[in-house]
Amino acid sequence: MLTVRELRAGYGNVDVLHGISFDVRPAECVALVGANGAGKSTALRCVCGLVRARAGSIEFEGARIDHVPGHRIVRRGITMCPEGRQVFADMSVLENLRMGGHMRRDRDQRRDLEALFDMFPALRPRARQRAGTLSGGEQEMLAIARALMSRPKLCIFDEPSLGLAPKIVDEVERTLARIKANGTTVLLVEQNASMALRLADRAYVLEAGNIVLEGSGQELQTHPEVSKAYLGY
Amino acid sequence: MITEALQQVLNGLAIGSVYTLIAVGLTIVFGILGIAHFAHGSAAMSGGYLTFILTERLGLGFFPAMAVALIAGAALGVVLERLAYRPVRDAPQINAFIIALGLTMILEGGNLLLFGPDQVVIPTPYQHVYTVGGLVVAELRIQVMLTASLAVAAMATFVSRTRAGRSIRAVAQNRQAAVLMGVNADAVATMVFALSSALGVIGGALVGALLAIAPGVGEGLVVKGFAVLILGGLGSIPGAIVGGLVLGVSEALAAGFISSAYKDVIAFLVMIGVLLVRPEGLLGKR
Amino acid sequence: MTRIDEGLVARCTAVLAGLALCATAHAAQKELVIGVSDALTGPGAVYGLPQSNAVRMAVDDTNAKGGIKVGQDVYKLRLVAYDDKANPTEATNSVRKLIDRDGAQYLLGFCCSGPTSAVASFIGRENVTMLVGNAAERTITAQGIPNLFRTRPPADFTGSAAGAFVAKRGVKTIAVIGSLDVSFYSQYLEAFEREFTRTGGKILAKETFGLKDRDMTPQLTKVRALNPEALLVLGYVEPCAFVYRQAVELGMKMPRYGFTSGSEEQFLKVATSEQMEGVWDLRPTELTVSALGEKANAYVAEYTKRFGTPPSPSSPYAYDQFYVLKHAIEKAGSVDPKKVQDSIRSGGIPPEAIMRYLPVGSAMFDENGQAYTTNGAFQWQKGKWVYVSDLPSDPVAYSKYLRSLRK
Repeated sequence: MLTVRELRAGYGNVDVLHGISFDVRPAECVALVGANGAGKSTALRCVCGLVRARAGSIEFEGARIDHVPGHRIVRRGITMCPEGRQVFADMSVLENLRMGGHMRRDRDQRRDLEALFDMFPALRPRARQRAGTLSGGEQEMLAIARALMSRPKLCIFDEPSLGLAPKIVDEVERTLARIKANGTTVLLVEQNASMALRLADRAYVLEAGNIVLEGSGQELQTHPEVSKAYLGY
Repeated sequence: MITEALQQVLNGLAIGSVYTLIAVGLTIVFGILGIAHFAHGSAAMSGGYLTFILTERLGLGFFPAMAVALIAGAALGVVLERLAYRPVRDAPQINAFIIALGLTMILEGGNLLLFGPDQVVIPTPYQHVYTVGGLVVAELRIQVMLTASLAVAAMATFVSRTRAGRSIRAVAQNRQAAVLMGVNADAVATMVFALSSALGVIGGALVGALLAIAPGVGEGLVVKGFAVLILGGLGSIPGAIVGGLVLGVSEALAAGFISSAYKDVIAFLVMIGVLLVRPEGLLGKR
Repeated sequence: MTRIDEGLVARCTAVLAGLALCATAHAAQKELVIGVSDALTGPGAVYGLPQSNAVRMAVDDTNAKGGIKVGQDVYKLRLVAYDDKANPTEATNSVRKLIDRDGAQYLLGFCCSGPTSAVASFIGRENVTMLVGNAAERTITAQGIPNLFRTRPPADFTGSAAGAFVAKRGVKTIAVIGSLDVSFYSQYLEAFEREFTRTGGKILAKETFGLKDRDMTPQLTKVRALNPEALLVLGYVEPCAFVYRQAVELGMKMPRYGFTSGSEEQFLKVATSEQMEGVWDLRPTELTVSALGEKANAYVAEYTKRFGTPPSPSSPYAYDQFYVLKHAIEKAGSVDPKKVQDSIRSGGIPPEAIMRYLPVGSAMFDENGQAYTTNGAFQWQKGKWVYVSDLPSDPVAYSKYLRSLRK
C-alpha cells in the first residue's frame, strides 16, 4: 500500500534520513521504533508532504506522492495524527472534528460524527467546548478522532502516548487496537517501544537515520538487542 | 453640555467605523499570516480613488462603484500576496517588514501617478440631516456607519460560519495541523489578503465620501489602524472593532473638549493609558 | 533666357530668405527668463497652480505678439515654473534655482504666505525683482524691501472692512473657526475683531483647524453649543469647504461668513451647491464677472479654453503681475532690475489688469511696494459666487499704517 524506497530527507544542511526503505501493506499495523532523533518523525512528515524528500521515492497505492503538496495528501487517503496533539485550541470540539472532515464533500459526516462520539464518549458532552480547555488525554482522543474523520485508508500516528498519564496511555493503546481491528491501515511511531511492538504486525528499528532491524512485532519484542536498547529489560 | 458630549461621541463613531474597517483588515492579515501589512492604507486609498473615478467619470452610483472597486481591491490584495509577500514567507520576519514598507512607497507613488496629487471627495447623494432630541446626524454618516457595520459583520460571519472561514481560522491557530487536514495554506493566505484588501477598499471609499482621499491619507490611516490593533489586542477581530470605535470617539472628544491641534496626541495617550492597564489590549489574550 | 532669369530669381530669393532667417535667429537670441515659484501641488495648489497658469497665459500671449520691445531689442520670454508645494524650504530652493541656474531676474507667482515670507527674507540682497501674488501675510510688504511688490492687499486691509460689514448687517455674536495659526488669517481676524466689537459685537469662540484637517465636526459641535448668530470661517479653500459642508451636516443654519477666495469649482469638489447656499465670502474683489466686467469675462473664457478648467478668483493677481512687469520694462527701456523697479514704483495701473486696483496717489503701488484692490462681499447663490456689494476700504490710511510698522 505504502512503499518507501531509499528515502533521504533532512533540514538545512543536515540529512536526517540516509536512504531508508520500508513498506506498509493493506490492513497492517507497522511501527517505526528508535531513539529520540533517529528520524522516525521525519519519515512520517515526508509521507505526509510536510517535508520534501531529497532523494528516493514514496508510493501510495501505486502512485508517487513524494512531490504532492501536504494539503493534497489527505485526499489520497493518508491522515496523520501529529505529535503533541495539535488540536485547534480556539475551536470547539465539534469544529475540530469538522476540520478533520475538511476535504470530504459527502453527506455521511453526521453519521461519522455520531460514531466517533460513541467511540470517544468523553468528547460528546464537550462538543461545544473550546478544544484548548480539554485535558491532555481528551485532546489526544480528539486528535485521534479528528484524524479518523477523514476516513483515511492509512492513518499515521506520531507519538500518540507522549506526555500522557499511564492510565491514558493504556486507553490510547486500546483505541489504536480498535482502529486496527476496524481494518484501517496504521503506521505508528512511538518512543514507547513496548506498546508499539505489542500493536504492530511488523516493525522497523531506526538508528541515526538508517533502518537497522526489521521483523514482526513479536520477533522484535523478543530480539535481544531491541529489548536491551528500547524495552528496558 | 451632555448634548454636546453625545454629539461628539456620535461624530467620533462615524470616523471610528472607518478606523475599524481598516484595523479589521490589518488584524486578519497580522493574526493569520503574521504580516504587518503597512501598505494596507495605500491599497485602501487606491480603491477609494477608483470609486471616485467610477462615480465621477462613469456616473456609477456610490455603492455600485464601491462594489466594483471592492472586487478590484480584492484582486490587488491577491497580487500583493502572490508577488510580494509569498516569496518571503519562510524568510525572517524583517524581510516581510521591509517588503511592506517598500510596497507602501510603490502604492503611494502609483496612486500619485494615476490619480494626481489633488485631494478628491467622492460625491454621494446622501444629503439629508436628521435631528433626534438635539442630536444631529447626517444621512451620509449613517450610511458610513451602516456600511462599515455590514462589511465587518459579513466578514465575521464568513470567518465564523463558513467552511472557507473555518479553514482560515485553522491556519491562524495551527498552520501545520491545518495542512494535515487538507487545508491549502497558500490559498488561505491569498483569501485573507483578498478579504483584507476588500475591507480596506470599503474603508477607502467611505473615507473618500465622508472626508477626502489625498496623498498621505492612506499612510495616516494605517498608523491609526495599527494603533487600533494594539489597542484592541493583536489579531483580535472584536478587539479591532472596539478599538476603532474607541479611537474615533476619543479623538472627537479630545478635539472637542481639549484641542483639535492635539487630537492625535490625545488619542495616542489614551492608547498608552489602556496598554499600561491592559498590556494585551482591550480584548487581547493574555 | 527665361531659364537663366528663373535661376537668378531663385538665387536671390534664397539669399533673401537666408538673411531673413539670420535676422530672426539674431532676434530670438534675446531671451528674458520669467521665473515662477508657486504651489503647483498640495493644499496650496488651489491658489498656486492657477497663478502659474495665468502667468503662462500672459507670457504666451506676449510671445505670440512678438515679445517685449526694449529700445531696439525685442525679447522673447521663457517661463520657468517650479513647484514650491507651499513649503518655505522648497520655495527657498526653487527661488535659488531660478536665480542661480536659470538666470531669472524676474520672479512671479507666490500664492502662499509661509514660503513667500521665507523668500522675502533674502530677496532684498539679490539683484532681481520679485512680484508677490495671492500671499496675504502683512509683514511681506511691511519691511520696505525695495525689490518686492505685491498685487494682493494684505489680509487685515480686507479684515477690517469685513468686520464693519458684518456688524452693519446686525450680527451681534459670532463664532470663528479657522486656520488661526496661519498669521495672515489671524491678522484678518484681528482687524475684523477691532471693527466688529467697536459697535458692540462679540466673538464667542475662536476655534482652530490645521492645514490638512478635514474633519471639523469636533470644532463645529463645540461652537454649535454656544449658539452664535453667525459663523466666520477663515482658511484655505479645502478645509473651509469641509467646515461649510459639515456645518450643514450638523444642522447649523446660522449665516456663514468667510475669507477663502475659492472658486465655485474648488468648493464644489468638497461640498454640494445646496450645502454652500448663502455662504458669504468677504475678500478682495477678485475675479467675478459681475464685479469686474467684460475684461474678466474674456480672461475667464481664454483661461478656460487653454487649461480646460476655469481660473481661481485669485489667479489674476499673477496675471496682473506680468503686465505690471511688461509695462515697466517697456517704460524703462531696459531689462536691468533696478531700472525696472523704479519704473514699477512710479507706474500706473496696466490697461490689461483684471483686478480693480485703488491707486495710492497716481501710482499703482505705494511706498511699501503694496497695491490695493477693492474689497467685496460675495455670496453663494444657486451655485455661483454673486458680487453683492463693495466693502468700505481706505487704501491711503492703510498704506500709512503699513509704513508705520516698518522697523
